Amino acid sequence: MNFFALPVHFVQAPNELKAWFLSLLASFGVPAWLLVVISAVLVIGTIIGVFLVLFALTSVLERKILARVQNRYGPNRVGPCGLFQPVADGIKMITKEDLVPRSADKIVHFLAPVVMMVPALMVLAILPYGRDMVPAELDAGILYFFAVGAGTEVAVFMAGWGSNNKYSVLGAMRAIAQMVSYELPLIISAVVVAMVTGSLAPSAIVTAQGDFAFGFFPGWYVFTPWGFVACLLFYIAALAESNRCPFDLPEGESELVAGHLTEYSGFKYATFFMAEYVGMFAICGLLVTLFLGGWQAPLPFLTIVPSWCWFFGKVAFVAFTMIWVRATLPRMRIDHLMTFAWKFMLPMSFAAFLAAACWHYAGRGPLAWALSAVIVGVPYLVLGNHFTARFSVTNRRYQFSE
Amino acid sequence: MNEFLQRLNALSWDACSQWLVLIPSGVMLLAAAAAAALRNLIHAALCLTLSFIALGIVFIALGAEFVGLVQLLVYVGAVAMLIVFAILLTRPSDLAGAKSPFAGLGPVGGILTGAGLLVALLAFIFSSPVAKTALPPAPVAPVAKIGELLMGSYIVPLQVVGVLLTAALIGAAVLAMEDKQP
Amino acid sequence: MTLQILLAVSAVLFAFGLVAALTRRNAIMVLIGIELMMGAGNLNFIAFWRFSAHPEALTGILFAIFSIAVAAAEAAVGLAIIILVHRRIKSANVDDANQLKG
Repeated sequence: MNFFALPVHFVQAPNELKAWFLSLLASFGVPAWLLVVISAVLVIGTIIGVFLVLFALTSVLERKILARVQNRYGPNRVGPCGLFQPVADGIKMITKEDLVPRSADKIVHFLAPVVMMVPALMVLAILPYGRDMVPAELDAGILYFFAVGAGTEVAVFMAGWGSNNKYSVLGAMRAIAQMVSYELPLIISAVVVAMVTGSLAPSAIVTAQGDFAFGFFPGWYVFTPWGFVACLLFYIAALAESNRCPFDLPEGESELVAGHLTEYSGFKYATFFMAEYVGMFAICGLLVTLFLGGWQAPLPFLTIVPSWCWFFGKVAFVAFTMIWVRATLPRMRIDHLMTFAWKFMLPMSFAAFLAAACWHYAGRGPLAWALSAVIVGVPYLVLGNHFTARFSVTNRRYQFSE
Repeated sequence: MNEFLQRLNALSWDACSQWLVLIPSGVMLLAAAAAAALRNLIHAALCLTLSFIALGIVFIALGAEFVGLVQLLVYVGAVAMLIVFAILLTRPSDLAGAKSPFAGLGPVGGILTGAGLLVALLAFIFSSPVAKTALPPAPVAPVAKIGELLMGSYIVPLQVVGVLLTAALIGAAVLAMEDKQP
Repeated sequence: MTLQILLAVSAVLFAFGLVAALTRRNAIMVLIGIELMMGAGNLNFIAFWRFSAHPEALTGILFAIFSIAVAAAEAAVGLAIIILVHRRIKSANVDDANQLKG
């Protein structure tokens, strides 16, 4: 066996396995159209299986990380270090009574979890999990991600209105307002990367980040001034889109009794929960693809490690930071988060857009780097100063009712 | 190995593209009929959303992927949500429709007009020689080409649409603002 | 599949939108009818592009993109007007908006 060919076969293991299996079936005389169907089913089954296992693992790891940050143990009874907790949670969710309010709109109430879960799974189709490992090679992949992600808003509305509960409707309207407001910085940050790469296809975006500056420094977009700002904006908007802390006002228990999810119990609530986590992974995957170089290795000699390992490692890291942020930051008020979206993040995303354009047309040299840093730095200082200048620490003025 | 998989994928697309257009078209027409006829406003808005989704799928199946995805993003993500919010904000006292859902003197005039127009259109379509063309090979519409055309030959309409959208944004915000109490 | 089938589908969709716009009492249902009609128009553009002699000119696609943008702007302004009228006459029915004074 050729020893030098072994690393290549190992790093492309998923593709090689699938091709070997399909050629085996073809040698048995399976017709071509059936092979296509089997190929698609294999890919879809693998992705769904991987992400559901990740969901189960994350649900217990998140609780353990939150617990450790809060100086306590997390779930540690079920299984080694509590890692079988998702099984216990699953049994609980499945055996719970499915309560539907009597005056609720039955069809809409029933379909809302389905409409929430389907886009969350569909967006996983365009992420490049490794070299040549994109399930669906779309020319406008990034646009597909946002178009299908817009289906989530419909699901939130259906959940809120279908419950026939004023807290649910209010929670759903706040959640939709938040998601629509944060969609703008999200999409503009993604468009910045698409503009610099010259393509909307995720595999082209990952390939464009493959060069190494000075021979060892990775050419990921997060290491440029405009890319750093766009990555941060995308990250904050991603937290808001997945309704995670500090933007989880729509589902905070102390605010609106779980908002649009108030009247859901049992398996339907588990479906919403699953859709939220799978959506979080999907948007982490997109962040990794756009800004952190996708499946590219950080150093030239580390390409020995398979590309799909790098992709999932980076996604795990970004997901960990999201859990860390959840443990650390308090919840934002609804008017604060709307102000933040429209008056800070939107102008900063336009500044990043302008900086990326100037960086490209100034020749991508040292002058371009300095120019783009100034173009994002000045609005940041001006806007940041404007928004924090009101919260000065002075003596408290007490007000009593007479 | 990759060429083998690519050849398999190309085979599947040609075989089922006709059904990929006809089935979403059927869903779209059913959902549009429901959207036009249902008494419950929210149900009608949700059926309209389904109709838009099916129309987007038809666009993608016809080879205009970019337009289909823009249709999904704009109509489903924005217009449908706007319609639903407006229904909630202008809540009639009888959301389920105890009063008649039809305006004026009843639906007869409108239905007759619609039916007459439909008959006339179908007569023109099925008697026109232009419409009998056979299916040409699948065109390619790469996003890069669309971008080039938008920024090249179609730059003036693009800027005009930008001004239009800005005017609509400012106008809608001003119109819907609360009246300042004197 | 010929062009006729696609044009027939688009004509039926347009007819549904027309009936909704002409017969429904709620102003938002009229707007839903208008959106259905514009969707039918877009389907016509894409159908003619697909069957055209020079599809590489992408004219149908660009026209459809502009049409979608204009339809979105029109829906936004139309709904704002409906909300404003509702504030005045406390009703979203087209039958109740029958006074010129207001």
